Amino acid sequence: MVTKKWILLNNEIMVKKDDEFSLSKDKEAVRSYFLDYVNKNTVFFYTLKEKIDYLIEQEYYIDFYQWYTFEQMEEVYDLVFAKKFRFQSFMSAFKFFQSYALRDDSGEKFLERYEDRVVAVALFLARGDVPQAKQYAELLINQEYQPATPTFLNSGKKRSGELVSCFLDEIGDNLNGIGYAIDSAMKLSSIGGGVSFNISKVRARGESIKDVEGRAGGVLPIMKILEDTFSYANQLGQRPGAGAVYLNIFHTDIEEFLDCKKINVDEKVRIKSLSIGVIVPDKFMELAENDEACYLFYPHTVYKQYGKYLDELDMNEMYEELVTNPLVKKKKINARHLMVKIAQTQKESGYPYLFFKGNANRGHALKELGNVKFSNLCTEIMQISEVSDIEIYGKEDTIRYGISCNLGSLNIATVMENKRIKEAVATAMRSLTVVSDLTNIAMVPSVQKANKELHSVGLGAMNLHGFLTKNFIMYESAAALDFCNVFFMMVNFYSIQSSMEIAKEKNETFVGFEQSEYANGNYFQPYLTKDIAPVSDKIAGLFEGMAIPTVADWTELMNQVKTHGLYHAYRLAIAPNQSTSYIMNATASVMPVVDVIEVREYGDSTTYYPMPYLDNDNYFFYKSAYDMDQKNVLRLISVIQKHVDQGISTILHTNTKDSTRDIAKYYIYAHKMGLKSLYYTRTRKASIDECVSCSV
Amino acid sequence: MSSYKAVNWNTPENDYAGMFWEQNLRQFWVDTEYIPSKDIDSWKSLSPEIQEAYKKALGGLTLLDTLQSHTGMPKLLDHIDGLQNKAVLSFMCMMEAIHAKSYSTIFTTVNSTAEINELFEWVENNKLLQFKASTIDKYYRNLDANKVSDETLFMGLAASVLLESFLFYSGFFMPLWLAGQGQMVASADIIKKIVADESIHGVFVGLLAQDLYKKLPNPEKSKKELIDLLMELYENELKYTDELYTEVGLTADVKEYVRYNANKAMMNLGFEELFEVKAVNSIVLNGLNGETTQHDFFSKKSTNYEKSMEVVHLRDEDFHVEAEPVF
Repeated sequence: MVTKKWILLNNEIMVKKDDEFSLSKDKEAVRSYFLDYVNKNTVFFYTLKEKIDYLIEQEYYIDFYQWYTFEQMEEVYDLVFAKKFRFQSFMSAFKFFQSYALRDDSGEKFLERYEDRVVAVALFLARGDVPQAKQYAELLINQEYQPATPTFLNSGKKRSGELVSCFLDEIGDNLNGIGYAIDSAMKLSSIGGGVSFNISKVRARGESIKDVEGRAGGVLPIMKILEDTFSYANQLGQRPGAGAVYLNIFHTDIEEFLDCKKINVDEKVRIKSLSIGVIVPDKFMELAENDEACYLFYPHTVYKQYGKYLDELDMNEMYEELVTNPLVKKKKINARHLMVKIAQTQKESGYPYLFFKGNANRGHALKELGNVKFSNLCTEIMQISEVSDIEIYGKEDTIRYGISCNLGSLNIATVMENKRIKEAVATAMRSLTVVSDLTNIAMVPSVQKANKELHSVGLGAMNLHGFLTKNFIMYESAAALDFCNVFFMMVNFYSIQSSMEIAKEKNETFVGFEQSEYANGNYFQPYLTKDIAPVSDKIAGLFEGMAIPTVADWTELMNQVKTHGLYHAYRLAIAPNQSTSYIMNATASVMPVVDVIEVREYGDSTTYYPMPYLDNDNYFFYKSAYDMDQKNVLRLISVIQKHVDQGISTILHTNTKDSTRDIAKYYIYAHKMGLKSLYYTRTRKASIDECVSCSV
Repeated sequence: MSSYKAVNWNTPENDYAGMFWEQNLRQFWVDTEYIPSKDIDSWKSLSPEIQEAYKKALGGLTLLDTLQSHTGMPKLLDHIDGLQNKAVLSFMCMMEAIHAKSYSTIFTTVNSTAEINELFEWVENNKLLQFKASTIDKYYRNLDANKVSDETLFMGLAASVLLESFLFYSGFFMPLWLAGQGQMVASADIIKKIVADESIHGVFVGLLAQDLYKKLPNPEKSKKELIDLLMELYENELKYTDELYTEVGLTADVKEYVRYNANKAMMNLGFEELFEVKAVNSIVLNGLNGETTQHDFFSKKSTNYEKSMEVVHLRDEDFHVEAEPVF
């Protein structure tokens, strides 16, 4: 093993000359990576025909001839190769070849370049419709839209995993329910899914089993089993399995739940790789604000009293009742102390995620059908769910909604520059719909049912900070708020329009559409009083050449939706998208960047990634997230959130010196601003140099 | 009879003891937080030569950390002035023991018992490694007496800095170099925690040595003794590097790195650099950077989180924030 030249070159970016990073080294690294590695390890074909036939005959690709003639495929290849695509940074190229490009069975030789992957995805999703295939191909090679990893990675391959990767489900409070959850976890994990469970219905430690007090083990032992399940059922050894569990903050196991992430805790109760999230109803925030006594409840005693799970009760209505009822066992705590404990746990581990249940349900379009109870591994999926009743062998199970979601992201910079918001959103929605229609997770019936009836998708966006920087707009500025308000309103508009058109074509809506806020028009009310348009000239200039939907357009859309319905119960969700944003040479999601050159530790490499479009003129606009007032970030997210029916993965960036109180204040602000969730909290360490220089 | 004093943290003894205490506490970690088992596949993919070099590098590090926790730190803290300084050294002493154990955590995960036993035998019998340990230990043993001269104590502190800031790094090279290229990444999380600790240990003991150096009647003599010691260790370090790294072809890179760290040790002791260093392997240099990195929570554990030190509670006014919708 010798030092790899391209990795060395990429590392040399960090060598400073005349106080500037050696950015040109990154281009050299890309070149070296292709010349010294990729090209030497790519299988060569004399003609396109030879390539396609080989890939199909050797069972790498599915038989595309079932849908296309060679000439039709050639048209799509020609269109894509004519664009002369080049990777803009080493990280983009490296990530693509490392994780996405098709390799031969020995794992040593590449069979695809970026263009080939794009065509394979387009041909696969279009299923024989040549003009549609061209639309997909153009969208992808322009880098206007990026499907989530499972779709981009697996489309068109004969031997491949699933196209969808995000699943959620409830855990019932009995052995059958727990067994079903563990079984689902194993199966979904093995097909590449990130799985999230709501564990709030499970009875607490010390509760009764068959009316014998003190027998229940609580949520921790189940989490331990889930953690081991995910690490066992990894994805063919390629990726470790990943999972999350959410617990309602009023569940008496909450303190134990938080302690599992502390640095120095007993092995038996320590959770290392399972992610954790806390469900925070409005009532809890109110108790903390008023500094009133806060009670946690033993969930099984609640169930025995009311025949309903603690987690499903409206705490605004039921809290006093639960406190007064002597048969509901409870534990008194201080709500502010619990918030600080959450902050402390976040400082030590980045966890837990927070899910603000009230905010997530306030504008929920399916509120008549059920509540959003928890979220997923990245805290952007927010859909209805209900626990299934799993019976013994021979008795019929009652299967209710789990959640399945497939994701993709628009690249804000390219979509804006090409002035194709409408086209990009419509084409992206179509591609997500194909994925949803093709997905059939029969091994987990609750997830299968949700996908079949609700067709949920999650269209998101990336490269916000990159786009703003390219246009010399500060992330924390009023102009950024102005831009996001208009941009995401348009994404919302066109995604509804597209969903309506698909419903019309297929003559099918999601199940329950008639009871939704879309059908009665309530959903559209915020858009019907005043036109949403750019406030400043600068932002208006960016939208020049694109029609911005007005009140009249929204009214018309509302009426069309009333007539034709919507195909998707859920449409938008902004994912954190990490690896896919590297391929797109974009900044991740709608978050600010952490540094002008990111040091990226992945499970398989350490790479240096200069932010997109970085040069000496715009350097200043890449202010690090760690140096921003987090309230400014949360405010920007609150503007976007108004136009997104599901959630947004929102990361808090804090510094070592920030106290638990500082962090807890962000929770309060986020909650008041209507954010639905908070994802990780990242902490920038104080280095000892800094300490020594300021105090010695 | 002299009276016994209790450590009083309410009155600072010097500018830095309190700060180093805090930083040490914040950096606290235990080996079992990490998940080296993720490296099993990576380990199997490495060539036998690299595996051999990796094991030996870590074996050598285990020996140095053992020496530091069992002899170095206890001896130094016995003679150093200031009860707060002693407290900081005792914390560092405990961390050294955790370091020494954590290499075993990695070995246990990827090696068989027979291989491990063979490795520890190698450590005991390797002349160059034993020379490092015995040379440093000699200066620690000079502190056995009840009262020692300032010169003797200075050399004890200096030896400790050489060990922490200089001798460790021929061993650290291997795991950092591999991790930079995507191998043994989970184990490198542990190594990076150790590197972060050793670097503050080197700075702290270096500051103690500098304070003492100012008081010496004949400082030049001690400085010369230090440089002689460093050169002696340097010669040995070159041979040790040859032995470990020749087969994997990294000798030249490691030697440059050894010189780079020798300079760092001298700087920690308040002296100018000794060697001219041209270009240190960027992969390894970047791997040393203790600054916060981005990581994907699902695929690896972060080394960024630290024990939360200050718990500050919420007040009423914290809830009265202006939170008006923007549009």
